[in-house]
Amino acid sequence: MLDLLLRGFLQRKLRVILTAVAIALGVALMSGTYILTDTINSAFAGIFTIANKGHDVVVTPSQRLGSRVRSQVSPIDEAMLARVRSVPGVAEASGSIFEFAALLDTHGKRLTTGGAPAFVASVVPKRFESFSPVSGRLPAGAGEAAIDQFTAERTSLKLGRQIVVAGSAVARRYTIVGIVQYGGAQSFGGAAAAVLLLGEAQRVTGELGRYSQLDVAARSGVTPQALRARIRAVLPSTVEVRTGAQQAAKETTTLEENLSFLRTFLLIFAYVALFVGAFIIFNTFSITVAQRTREFGLLRTLGSSRRQILRSVLFEGALLGVGGAALGLLGGILLAPALDELFKSFGADLPTSGTVLHTRTIVVSLLVGLGVTLLASLLPARRATRVPPIAAMREGVELPRRRWLRWRPRVVPALARAVGALVAWRGITGRLARENAIRQPGRTMVTAAALTVGLALVAFVAVLADGTKATIDQAVSRSFAGNLIVESSQSGGREQGIPALIAPALRRVPGIATVTPIAFTVGRPRGSSENATITAVDPATFGQVYRIEWKQGSSATLQALEANGAIVSEGYAKSHRLKVGQTVTLLTPTERHVSLIVSGIVTDRTRLLGNMTISLALARAAFGQREDALDFVKYAPGVSNAQVQPVVDRVLAQGFPQAKSRTAAQFKQEEGEQINTLLALIYVLLALSVIVSLFGIVNTLVLSIYERTRELGMLRAIGTSRRQVRQMIRYESVITSLIGGVLGLVIGVVGAVLVTTFALSGSGFVQSIPLGTLAILLVVAALAGLLAAQLPARRAARLDLLQALAGE
Amino acid sequence: MSAADSNLQDKIVAADSVCRRYGEGPAAVEALTDVTVQFARGRFAAIMGPSGSGKSTLMHILAGLDRPTSGTVTLDGTELTGLDDRRLTLLRRDRVGFIFQTFNLLPVLSAQENILLPLSIAGRKPEREWFDRLIDTIGIRDRLSHRPAELSGGQQQRVAVARALISRPAVVFADEPTGNLDSKASGDVLALLRQAVDDFSQTVVMVTHEAHAAGFADRLILLSDGRVAHDGDGSSVEAALERVKSGD
Repeated sequence: MLDLLLRGFLQRKLRVILTAVAIALGVALMSGTYILTDTINSAFAGIFTIANKGHDVVVTPSQRLGSRVRSQVSPIDEAMLARVRSVPGVAEASGSIFEFAALLDTHGKRLTTGGAPAFVASVVPKRFESFSPVSGRLPAGAGEAAIDQFTAERTSLKLGRQIVVAGSAVARRYTIVGIVQYGGAQSFGGAAAAVLLLGEAQRVTGELGRYSQLDVAARSGVTPQALRARIRAVLPSTVEVRTGAQQAAKETTTLEENLSFLRTFLLIFAYVALFVGAFIIFNTFSITVAQRTREFGLLRTLGSSRRQILRSVLFEGALLGVGGAALGLLGGILLAPALDELFKSFGADLPTSGTVLHTRTIVVSLLVGLGVTLLASLLPARRATRVPPIAAMREGVELPRRRWLRWRPRVVPALARAVGALVAWRGITGRLARENAIRQPGRTMVTAAALTVGLALVAFVAVLADGTKATIDQAVSRSFAGNLIVESSQSGGREQGIPALIAPALRRVPGIATVTPIAFTVGRPRGSSENATITAVDPATFGQVYRIEWKQGSSATLQALEANGAIVSEGYAKSHRLKVGQTVTLLTPTERHVSLIVSGIVTDRTRLLGNMTISLALARAAFGQREDALDFVKYAPGVSNAQVQPVVDRVLAQGFPQAKSRTAAQFKQEEGEQINTLLALIYVLLALSVIVSLFGIVNTLVLSIYERTRELGMLRAIGTSRRQVRQMIRYESVITSLIGGVLGLVIGVVGAVLVTTFALSGSGFVQSIPLGTLAILLVVAALAGLLAAQLPARRAARLDLLQALAGE
Repeated sequence: MSAADSNLQDKIVAADSVCRRYGEGPAAVEALTDVTVQFARGRFAAIMGPSGSGKSTLMHILAGLDRPTSGTVTLDGTELTGLDDRRLTLLRRDRVGFIFQTFNLLPVLSAQENILLPLSIAGRKPEREWFDRLIDTIGIRDRLSHRPAELSGGQQQRVAVARALISRPAVVFADEPTGNLDSKASGDVLALLRQAVDDFSQTVVMVTHEAHAAGFADRLILLSDGRVAHDGDGSSVEAALERVKSGD
């Protein structure tokens, strides 16, 4: 039995390969994702371990609001350092800076690309130093800096050249005196780092007299654990005290948590591809089981039990699944670097070193590949068991139709007729292609459905993205009453703020009437496990550049924010049952408890205003908010943009090169471009599913052609040219892919409209359907069909006429 | 009427010293050995012979479906030997009609569409008058919109005959046209072929292994071991068969 199976397997080489590839692609993306993220994690773990070497105890700001939230003003100050130094058993303790900042060349161009971050670090005593020079030396003077090797190589910056460091203070220039590695790694996740003397680092990051971290070395004989406990006892709860090993582990875990979204994001696409692959397995097995009816009948006549038949088909599925999964695993090893390149091209450079292939990756890949294949072949296998022994004697024994398939014959012919009209004018080949597509509606449907899945998701995302762009456009036009928006030039970097010094500097520019800074922070309401997003505004000027849609309250309410007032968004008020006049107590990033009085409720379509809106003064005082997120600028009446924006840009270039100004129109355009970038990434990843479905079309066509060998022979005999045969197969393929395409677009668009209508109701989401994109998608589907038909069409045209006529 | 008509202008299909070998070297099998045969316009010829005698091979070579290893074939004045696949296809399309044992109608097309298929492939419009005459002759007017699956075997083969005749080919090749039919349906189809020859002056070459079928032909060619063993009057089938069987 096994022998028979294996022989049959080898005879159907092409089908086996095509089907295995269908499952392999999904497995490849899955294993590639695991390999890539494991590799990134292990690279970072290595960096963190080396970086924390020599640190017996580390003191860092506590992060009770979550690993991503920390106060912009460090709680670690000189007094705390002094207290640590006085703890018995401390051999040496020093404070250091490691903060976000913008690094630029002297022309104002960022040294980082895309969304990669940049850091400023301070020189620390030798035993704590994680930076090691590969050329030059660490800075020794106030005007000197060392930069990391990766950045130096990428930007061709050499010793002696200058860089600009822009943090929370006015930007300053430094001369490069050293090229360094961090934790022994050339690249720190694509991030750039500049090392300055401690005082300079504190000044440029706005942390004068404060530190990001305290590094402590123990005297010999004192264990890190013991020292940690002693230090913990003398420090407040605003800081965490860990041993070096704990700190490295903590940093690694935090990073893994932050990167887990990447894994989830990629795995979603892998699952979609696997789902599509399952369709193809199902369809291929259904067709081959039907084609082998006589064979199964013969086996039954010879005494095979149903169970044996079931087992033999399932075994074939298992073999295919394991083979496909193994192929996919290999593909994944190759794909992981490609994924890394993909993210690089979209601006996210992540450190990798070698290839980390965990046993988990191998086991999961094989199990998933096997599972999906077995599951998909289960129904066809059961069908094979229903073949009666008599089928061996007669040709064309019809197996009973499955009930749930009955609806399909109605959908497919209707769609095929409509789509077929496109090719029917091409004469008999178009006509025959259409009829052949309708011939087995179930088969055509499942083949098309594989493509439908991918295209529905593409259409869904496209509609959502278009709506989001339209929503931003409308919201900005409606709410923004100013002329310029100043924010970080880092793409997608609203999390990276701009110095608070910009607003006063711009107020001095002639022609500007109002500059109002806006900052974002978070707070955790008492009794809640989730943070509330908070927008901090200047109550005196905010109303002049932003039109607030009040549900309760008025411009006067805004003025009242100064006294611990809070404006709450309508949605948040509803879900948290907040009413005007009520008091909310928040835990702030600086570990303080602040009581706010709800003074108004607003509807905000731009999402500029978070769950709560408070005064900037309160954010500075109680939330440790040092930087701003944006500045809104409004001109004096009668002043033109051409007069003011160039002056604003000059002010920014001189003192704050990390910021840039944009008009409302520029803002909208750039927001749109950002959405398009994300969209492009999603398209690339969904393309894999579409490719998988193409294999399905190829497979179905090859099997159908095999079934119609004799017909093709007759057609050739009575004068159909090879060209016409190829054309016929291509048309059939295009019809199938267009059925999949049309269904996919309809499902995707309807789905997106439903989701946005119900899930986003009341949020002011503007529906917008990108007709151009949808039309392009249909063309792509048709082209995909053409592509898929290449091989089958060639096979059909090359058919040996006499053999075809002889049949079997 | 003699089968060996001497008027050379009326030879619509001719094979001259045709050999067909399959395979190479010592394993090679010779299916046809030095076969020279001609078919006259407007005649009904039957090729008979036991299994493996080369009768199907001969028909395939005459129709341009297969190529001889040596020798030449001329069809309606065109020498087939040198034609490439494209030209052979065009020749079959325009000047050859086929009738198969298994009917080979397209199940997705109606009877009418099947009949018109050769014209559709060629991109030509049917002549209404000829189509009507053909339909009336084969007597399936009331079944024109039916699909093959809804027709009996005899009806299907009659549709196939109409399909072979629709383009008024120079010659119709019929490969065991009655092989899958009962005797009543066989009779109908053979009568139809006879009528095509008599009424429409159609040339028909039929391969068959049924003596009864060969009886409808004007001429009988008997093949044995790849050679022509008998070439003569259609009425002498039984006698000829006996001769071939009893000894060479």
